[in-house]
Amino acid sequence: MKAEIRQKLAREPFAEKIRKVGQLVRLAKTFPRRQMKRGDIRQKAAI
Amino acid sequence: MATNPPSDNLPLSEVLHAANGLVAAGLIEDWALGGALAAIYYVEPFTTYDADIFFIPKDTGLTAGIPAIYAHLQAQGWQVEREHLLIRGFPVQFLAANGLTEEAVREAERIEYEGVPAKVFRAEHIIAIAASVGRAKDKARIEQILQQADFDKTYLAEVLQRHKLKLPTP
Repeated sequence: MKAEIRQKLAREPFAEKIRKVGQLVRLAKTFPRRQMKRGDIRQKAAI
Repeated sequence: MATNPPSDNLPLSEVLHAANGLVAAGLIEDWALGGALAAIYYVEPFTTYDADIFFIPKDTGLTAGIPAIYAHLQAQGWQVEREHLLIRGFPVQFLAANGLTEEAVREAERIEYEGVPAKVFRAEHIIAIAASVGRAKDKARIEQILQQADFDKTYLAEVLQRHKLKLPTP
């Protein structure tokens, strides 16, 4: 993300930022990061 | 016991209200929001899974009055899960302040969040605390604040000097 966009996000009202944190947490819980299995790594390496 | 159903939104105003309640109940002297949520006050939002409330204990004994704080909040429907207290499923850590963190509580910025009076660590103290902890994520936090926040460089230098701290080299 561009530095100026990040700067703009940083200057948003605190309540708005907290609302976005809530959204990020919900997204992270809905789509948790999957641990890569060895097979996946081998497959990636073969591509 | 009061009910405390999980919330889809981050229940920060309830956390701050509860912290004010601890002062009113005479269980703590003062408090301020620290940790990632305090950093988010100054920088772009990012994912964090808990709130850190730093408090100045009234009870100067070894437990810093933590059992009484837990009992008070549990009576209001908060649940205990390992080192966290949960409000509407959101974990909150109550941490007894000392040294640098006590100074951060005393000098914290007064704000109002959704009508609730609160205090949040100054950016300079968040930087100093991150410098004192020194993990990779703390270094990233310092970098983020230096790039995105308005802060007082002279005041930061004074805090760092007072606590014999240095900013990590990039």
